[in-house]
Amino acid sequence: MEGFGITDVTLAKKNGNEQLKNKITTISREFSYEDTAYHLPVSYALTGITVHNKNTANDVFTKTGGNPLVAEECLLAEATAVNGKEPEPYTGFISDTVIRKLGYSLVDGSILGLALIVGTPKSAESAAAICRELQEKYMLTFLSGGVIPSLSSAGVKLGLDYRLVPLGSRPLHSVHFVDIVARVAMMFGGVSPGDIHRLLAYAAERAKAIVIVFPGLSDEEIAFIDGLRVLGFPILSLGGYEGGDWIVAAPSEIVRTGMEMKGIKVSVTAIPIPMGCSPAFEGKSIRKEEMQVEFGGGRSPAFELLRMKNPGEIEDGKVTVIGPEIDSMKEGSAYPLAILVDVAGKTMKKDYEPVLERRIHNFVNYGEGSWHVAQRDLIWVRISKEAFAKGVKIEHLGKLLAGKFRMDFPKLIDAVAVTLITDPEKVLAGKKEAEKIYDERDARIRGMHDDDVSTYYSCTLCQTFAPNHVCVITPERPALCGAISWLDGKIAYEMSPSGANQPIEKGALLNAGNGEFDGVNRFVKKASHGEIERCSLYSVMEYPMTCCGCFEVIALMLPEVNGIMVVNREYKGMTPSGMTFSTLAGTIGGGAQTPGFAGISKNYILSDRFLQGEGGIERLVWMPSQLKEELRPRLKPMLEAKGHPDLFDKIADENTAATIEDLAVFLEKVGHPALTMKPLM
Amino acid sequence: MIPDANFGWTSPVGEVVLGATEKEGGTRSRSYRIGGGTTLPFIETEPESPSPLIAFEICDDPQYWSPIINDFCGDLVRDPGAWAKTAENTYGADLVRLCLTSTKQRDFSNITALGKTVESVLSSTTLPLIIEGSNEPKIDSEVFLKCGETGQGERLLLGTAEAGRYRSIAAAALAYNHSIIAQSPIDINLAKQLNILLKEIGVQKDHIVIDPYTGALGYGFEYSYSAMERIRFSALKGDADLAMPMICAPADSLTIKEVREADAKTRDAMAVEWEFATSLAAAVAGSEIVCVRHPGTVKRLKAAFAALKNRTGA
Repeated sequence: MEGFGITDVTLAKKNGNEQLKNKITTISREFSYEDTAYHLPVSYALTGITVHNKNTANDVFTKTGGNPLVAEECLLAEATAVNGKEPEPYTGFISDTVIRKLGYSLVDGSILGLALIVGTPKSAESAAAICRELQEKYMLTFLSGGVIPSLSSAGVKLGLDYRLVPLGSRPLHSVHFVDIVARVAMMFGGVSPGDIHRLLAYAAERAKAIVIVFPGLSDEEIAFIDGLRVLGFPILSLGGYEGGDWIVAAPSEIVRTGMEMKGIKVSVTAIPIPMGCSPAFEGKSIRKEEMQVEFGGGRSPAFELLRMKNPGEIEDGKVTVIGPEIDSMKEGSAYPLAILVDVAGKTMKKDYEPVLERRIHNFVNYGEGSWHVAQRDLIWVRISKEAFAKGVKIEHLGKLLAGKFRMDFPKLIDAVAVTLITDPEKVLAGKKEAEKIYDERDARIRGMHDDDVSTYYSCTLCQTFAPNHVCVITPERPALCGAISWLDGKIAYEMSPSGANQPIEKGALLNAGNGEFDGVNRFVKKASHGEIERCSLYSVMEYPMTCCGCFEVIALMLPEVNGIMVVNREYKGMTPSGMTFSTLAGTIGGGAQTPGFAGISKNYILSDRFLQGEGGIERLVWMPSQLKEELRPRLKPMLEAKGHPDLFDKIADENTAATIEDLAVFLEKVGHPALTMKPLM
Repeated sequence: MIPDANFGWTSPVGEVVLGATEKEGGTRSRSYRIGGGTTLPFIETEPESPSPLIAFEICDDPQYWSPIINDFCGDLVRDPGAWAKTAENTYGADLVRLCLTSTKQRDFSNITALGKTVESVLSSTTLPLIIEGSNEPKIDSEVFLKCGETGQGERLLLGTAEAGRYRSIAAAALAYNHSIIAQSPIDINLAKQLNILLKEIGVQKDHIVIDPYTGALGYGFEYSYSAMERIRFSALKGDADLAMPMICAPADSLTIKEVREADAKTRDAMAVEWEFATSLAAAVAGSEIVCVRHPGTVKRLKAAFAALKNRTGA
């Protein structure tokens, strides 16, 4: 026992609170702080009462149910009135003017959060290390009690300029930490004095503060510090205390743990790798002659996999290479590679894995001398000779990935670790595992139906040029551009809650066939600035979704044959409608709702919902042969499964029917089901 | 024939107060409550809403200002205080907009000087003040802190917040109770998104003025006009995130070819003409504040606004 024993927090708290009950009655004289418009800020914020004497002190103490923060604030104010302010370097009560500046830095982001350190460290060195880490992580730290002389003895410079503020000689001077939080809430958070609910909500959600406790606190001090939990601040101790809700952490972990608990994140600004890293390099390819080594692309086994882990399971920023590094690889050869990215984050979900995994492609291409194509176990990666000459190693791909994931997904991801495997045996073994995971994912997405979720997502990215266009994205109907799936919409909303992808509560079903929901209608009306009243998700004929101009495919009715045709952007020829794709696109784009026409994605054709309002895919009479070939591997089995083994061949293309007359003849000849369906109009 | 001013609008535009008189805790001779309109400008049957305000723009480093204005205003351009005073007493402006162009200097760091400039302008004019702050993200934090602090109590309008660069200016608004200009690049959705971001950080909507960005007439103003129109329609239809007053600054008018290359004799007239036409169009589109740089434009606009207000409707 180096001077201190182990203190039981629960017991100490009880004793401390008892002591305070007596102490508060001993207040006898009047007191007040200068340089503030907020009286005793904690008491004022909690109750709206201006405390300046014995009676009002007892009043707030009773009204707050014997709150230790209030008690200590009153006691300290009286003590300060009796004894005067402590001499330098102690700051004592800090004026409103300074708080305004502090609050400014908090809102502005130049300070990420607040920390309070109390107690007496066993070793000045370890206290100094903690403070240094807090400084490096842009935290503003307040100190009270024995930690201050301890830091001074270790040569640590103190003061507001150093972001280490010595409040006072006793641990209870941390009252001033709380009065700062209370004033910031009133000045910046719009909290009115006495509005305890808003104050607590502000403290818990907005005030990013943590408390670090060294040993040696008295019962009364423990009661006070424990009282800070009501504000949502985690209390972290370095040992010496047990019980209660205090978290014990090692000195090297304590700052990180506290910051993680409050969701305070240091943003990564530069990635320390010996090559440039920017979206500007994304389009640059590395040709065979420029390549130092390559991985995958059919020349060697390679795959990539992003997995979610539990926080604490991974060490942020850690990069591991298993197997030979680039300097022991032969120039111009292909080697096996596995890129394993592990991420953890409070808001991370397993569903996001594939979406994030797709970003590996972009990020590797951001590297000036690294190149990446395709996905999953089809990847093909190259590192250039130039990059190799600059010292780029395989390890640096990991650093790049870890850095970019943290940078681009700050809200989602708290920690990223990357493992790069070049050992052939281990890559092959890992690949088998990964393939299982790919299959599970495919099954999950395939298995998702519009009925399984109550929330769809909007996309209004294109309103820049199609002012009233609103895409409604459902699990079975991707955005009409084909680029944003329901999961992408969901993740985009998580990352940017005020962005172009917003959740839509679909609400009550109005028309099952057409897929019309009152929630969707409400949303679309608002998002289209009042222009569009109704929107059916699964119909081309009645209130179809609006079109921006990015659609992969246009579906339109052909009343002459009682069917629907589709035409894709790549097809330049004439269609049986008498119009080319580009003429059609000009007719329906710009955010308008055009009954009989719809802009859709290719994948939507393969969904069970396609043309549901018109009686189903049996309405499909024509599509360009190239699109037909592209969709064949999935469309044919799908039609077979629906009980139409011959429908695929009954769908005409430009070779079998170039004009509407030819089409009518063709459909008649093959006996297309659309001919006998309910009239479209 | 004037159309019926009632288009089924449901909500008024929000209000923002600029400037503070002695009674309100500041030192201005007047304060303005802008916004509050219930329909489009200049079509009310009763001329109840006030004319748009005219802000005269000055700067603290004329090397970054239009040579046309520098020549016209002469020595004044080296004395922001005297310039501001002239804007109030001689040019007849409603507001002064101080652009801290000195922050464009390479590695600018003289924050103290900025504070002195703001002080001298505040003491030289009694008009409410707009301050256009930092030109360099790296010094945003210090610049806006200094502006906010120096103007405490004066209810300044601080510019300019953009998506991705709004924290410092929002902090200054929150800490010292000023309002801010939120600028988006001619895009209604980005305008809305920025307002939401500002709301999330704690800036109240009655402290935000939208700057939809103003292209010069003939050089993209039609896009600005359309964005402004849609912002205002949305506001009147009840979209609270867009229901703020607007500010337009057709500063680009002074750099277009027709003005730049005009011969010395007609150069001023050309500058005024272009500023005037662009500002008037912005006012008609709904702007509550228009900012101009040529002294000659102020009177032209005043006369035009008065004429629009006094028309009988026949």
